[in-house]
Formats: sequence, C-alpha cells, structure tokens
Amino acid sequence: MTLLTYVMAVVYFYPVLWMLMTGFKSEGDAVKMPPSLLFSPTMENYRLIWDSGVAAFFGNSVIVTLTSTLFALLLGVPAAYGLAMFKLKRSEDVLFWFMSTKFLPVAGIIIPLYMLLKEIRLLDNLWALFFLYTAMNVPLVVWMMRSFFKEVPLEVMESARVDGASDTRTFFQITLPLVRPGLISTALLSFIFAWNEFFLAVSLTATNAATMPVHMASFMTQQGLFWAKMSSVASIAVVPALLLGWFTQKQLVRGMTMGAVKG
Amino acid sequence: MHKPTGIPDKKGFAPPVRRLLWPSIIFVALITQIPFLVTIYYSLHDWNLMRPDKGITFSGIRNYSKILSDAAFYEVLGNTFLLTGGALIVCLVVGLVFSLLMNRDFFGKGIVRTMLVSPFFIMPAVAGIVWKTMLLNPSFGLTAYFASLFHFPLIDWLASYPLMTIVLMVAWQWIPFFMLILLAGLQSVPDDVMEAAHLDGANALQRFQHVILPHLLKYIEVAVLLGLIFIMQTFGEIYVTTAGGPGYASTNLPYFVYRVGFQGWDVGGASAVGVIIVLMTIVLMTALFKFLRKTFQGELT
Repeated sequence: MTLLTYVMAVVYFYPVLWMLMTGFKSEGDAVKMPPSLLFSPTMENYRLIWDSGVAAFFGNSVIVTLTSTLFALLLGVPAAYGLAMFKLKRSEDVLFWFMSTKFLPVAGIIIPLYMLLKEIRLLDNLWALFFLYTAMNVPLVVWMMRSFFKEVPLEVMESARVDGASDTRTFFQITLPLVRPGLISTALLSFIFAWNEFFLAVSLTATNAATMPVHMASFMTQQGLFWAKMSSVASIAVVPALLLGWFTQKQLVRGMTMGAVKG
Repeated sequence: MHKPTGIPDKKGFAPPVRRLLWPSIIFVALITQIPFLVTIYYSLHDWNLMRPDKGITFSGIRNYSKILSDAAFYEVLGNTFLLTGGALIVCLVVGLVFSLLMNRDFFGKGIVRTMLVSPFFIMPAVAGIVWKTMLLNPSFGLTAYFASLFHFPLIDWLASYPLMTIVLMVAWQWIPFFMLILLAGLQSVPDDVMEAAHLDGANALQRFQHVILPHLLKYIEVAVLLGLIFIMQTFGEIYVTTAGGPGYASTNLPYFVYRVGFQGWDVGGASAVGVIIVLMTIVLMTALFKFLRKTFQGELT
C-alpha cells in the first residue's frame, strides 16, 4: 500500500519535477529520451532568459501580487472582524454576497472592463491588475479571516476590555496577534491566486504590464522547442507560488471552501 | 444594513460595524458588479470594434438570438459540459483514492502529501505548456517516447482528442483540491463510530460503505459543487494548448467569450455570451448556496 502510494506520488508529481530539472539542463540534454536524472547542471538558461527580459515580467508579477494582497487584507480584515465579532441581522447575506462575487465568472465582466480601461488609458497598465486582483481577493480574505476571528475566545477580548483597553487597542494588541497564523496563510493564498491569474492578465495587458503567466504563453509560441530555456522561464514563473503553496497547504482547503471545511 | 446588536460596549456607543464593512463592500461591488450591468447593456447593442463605421446601435435581443441559433454555441456548450463533468469525475475518483491512501500513517507522509498537492499551485498557463510540449509533443514528448518503446501507434493527443486531453490536464490540477477536502472528511469520521462498526463485525468494505461514505457525502458535495464552479471557468490550459481548436472542438464558454470579444472584436456578441454564462452560474450557485447554508448553518450563525 505504502509502496503504491510512493509510486503514484512520483508519477503524479513527475511533470513538475521534470520541468524543474530541465531548466538546469543544456538544450542537448533536455530533449534526451528517456529524460535523464543524471546530468551536469548549468545556470546558462537562467542567465540567458533573465537577460532577455524575463526580469521585467517577474517584477510586474511581484509588484502587482504583493500590493493587491496587501490591499485585499487592508480592506478584508476589518470586514471579517466586523462580521465575526458583532451580530448583524444581515451578516449572513453579506457573507454570501461576498462569496457570490468570487464565484461569478470573469468572462461575464471582461468586455466592459476592457472597454473602460481602454477609455481611461489603463490598458496594459499594472494599476488595472492591482484593482482587479484586490477585488478578487477581498472575498477570500473576508471569509477566511472571519473563520479565524471566530476561533478567538470571547473571554480573552472581554478581559482586555475590563482592563480598560479600547476596542482599537484590543484589536491590535490582543486579537490580531492571536490570529496571526491565519492571517499569514490568508495572505499566502491571496498571493498565490493573484500570482497565477491568467484570464484578466492576458486580456488586459500586452508588452508593458504583462505578468509571468502572460509572458510564459507568448514565450512558448516563440521558443516552445527550446525545452531547457522554456523550463527555466516556467520554473521562475512557478516556484514562488509553489513554495508558498507548500507552506500553506494545510490551510488550502479552508481558503478554497471559504472557511466551510476546516481541513 | 440593520442596527448592529453586538457585544455591549461599556462606554455605550455602537460598535463600528458599518465603518468596518462598507469600504470592502463598496470596493468589491464597484469592481465586480457594476461592470456586469454594463455587460448587459452592451449585450443589447450591435457594436463591433472592427467596424467603427457602423457605430453602436441598439439591437434588442438580436445578439442573443444570433448566438442561440449558432451551431458553434451548442458545440461550445457541450464542450463546457463535457470538460467540467469529465474533469469532476476524474478528480472525484482519483481524489478519493489519494485521500484514502493519505489517511494512513506511513514513512514520508509529509513529502508525499507535498508532492500530491503541488499541481494545484502550478499556474494553468505553465501546466498547459509543460503538458503540451514535454509530455504530449507528437515527435519529442514523453508519450511519443513510450509509444515508440512499446510500438504503439503514435498519437498527437491534443490534435486528435483535444477535449479529452484538456480534461486530463485540468483534472491533474484539481485532484489535490478534491483530495484535501475528502481527506478532511475522512479525518473527521468519529472514532467511536468506527470502533462500534468494528465491534459489530463490519469488514473494511462494509465500514467504508456504511460509515465512511455517508459521512463523506457532505464533503463530496462541497468538493463537487465548488469544483464545478471553478472548473467551468477553465481558460489558461485551453489558451496555451489548443487555442480552442481545431475549429471549436476544445472551446468552452469562457474561451468562447475571449474568441468572440478579443479575436472577433464583437463587443455586443461577447457580452451576450458573458451574460449567458453568468446566468448559468447563478443557477448553479443557487443550488450551491441552498446546500451550503443548510450544511454550514452552525458555522454561519
């Protein structure tokens, strides 16, 4: 049984592993069949593709992902706190409304977004992606953080209040530190979703504001036969989300099910 | 918004719920909801960016009747259904197998788990490209290598079976999601119930069928309904592998919007397809919400 599990895991993971390794091979080694595990690793591909402009697209991805994650937290955490701590008659409606915006297909709004951005000259501009990714991640933040805030025992906060701490102080000094692990995994998941987003990016950006996935798609049409170079670009595109994903895999279920399944 | 009735504040002023909520609600509504109203507006107009001479004219429901009488639309609708349904079935079966395998203690469990969740974090654009060029390339790919090794006929998967291949690709990415949800379900089976079944002499299969499966049903439903909504929106894998072709053979609804809008520059037509997708999603979501509200009532109040 365990052996079977190992075999399945290796087969299933193989495409990722192969891609990560091929990035370090010479073009000649890269196309050898069967793919060799033993080869003399080279950084040549990375040097070449980094100099050929990948750096700019990587930068775009980093900027837009970090800023949109930060702003999604700034907007979403207070809302989550409000929904978790205070009884509102319609809090359930508000929550489901947030969830519904996350489920609505982007295809339903892409045309007006394009026309509007064209009108205000923000096509192919990072600001556009920043606003969209922030809006995309706010519902995720609200749902996840709400479920973390709800786990904070009320007595802790009440005793702080009895001690004379203001609401704001209670929040920053007591509540926030208690939910920090949850806050971190929420931030990581927002980061991953924004980092991997493709539909909006490919529809609304071109040469200036393109992010890594968009660059990846155009890189392939030009140089799809150079496996080693392609794999090194792909690795750069994938590794940030993959690493963060590994750290946050335990919270993935909670994030994807909007806190419904704890995981 | 109703008057908040929260934790009584000893200083006697109402908790600042509104101030906490409104910024995010306004921001999200402005960016995700208002544009949809514009989509509806556009969908009622004849407007093609390739024909600026024709301008923008009100056309009523003509865009809708044009789409609904177009054979391509029904092919796309069928593709969307097959892609989503096919991927869901594969995800559910393989996800269940993986979760059962992972619901045990063995050496290296952490690493195996990490390997199994990894495809979920690979961006669709890269997943599609790696599959297309390295695994499935008809002359140099891994499948071609195995075909020649065992003297199987050489198959250009993406050209001959585009939709089926994309189903497998999408399933590869979404299996971890199913595995993790089902694993959460398996781990929450109460120990005493399992023990009782054991004492009653139920064998492993009976325990699975009568104890685990009923408990798991709730989790299966969550996974399927969420998977349904997310997999319906598949786009990147199609964009980088087949570009929806040959013909419309691997175009799904979101990719159809892209083709009509950004290749045909038919603003009205693409908007109408967008409206149709949203309506379909709303129907699905209504079912989902009914279910989620029922299942997670305790969690929600």
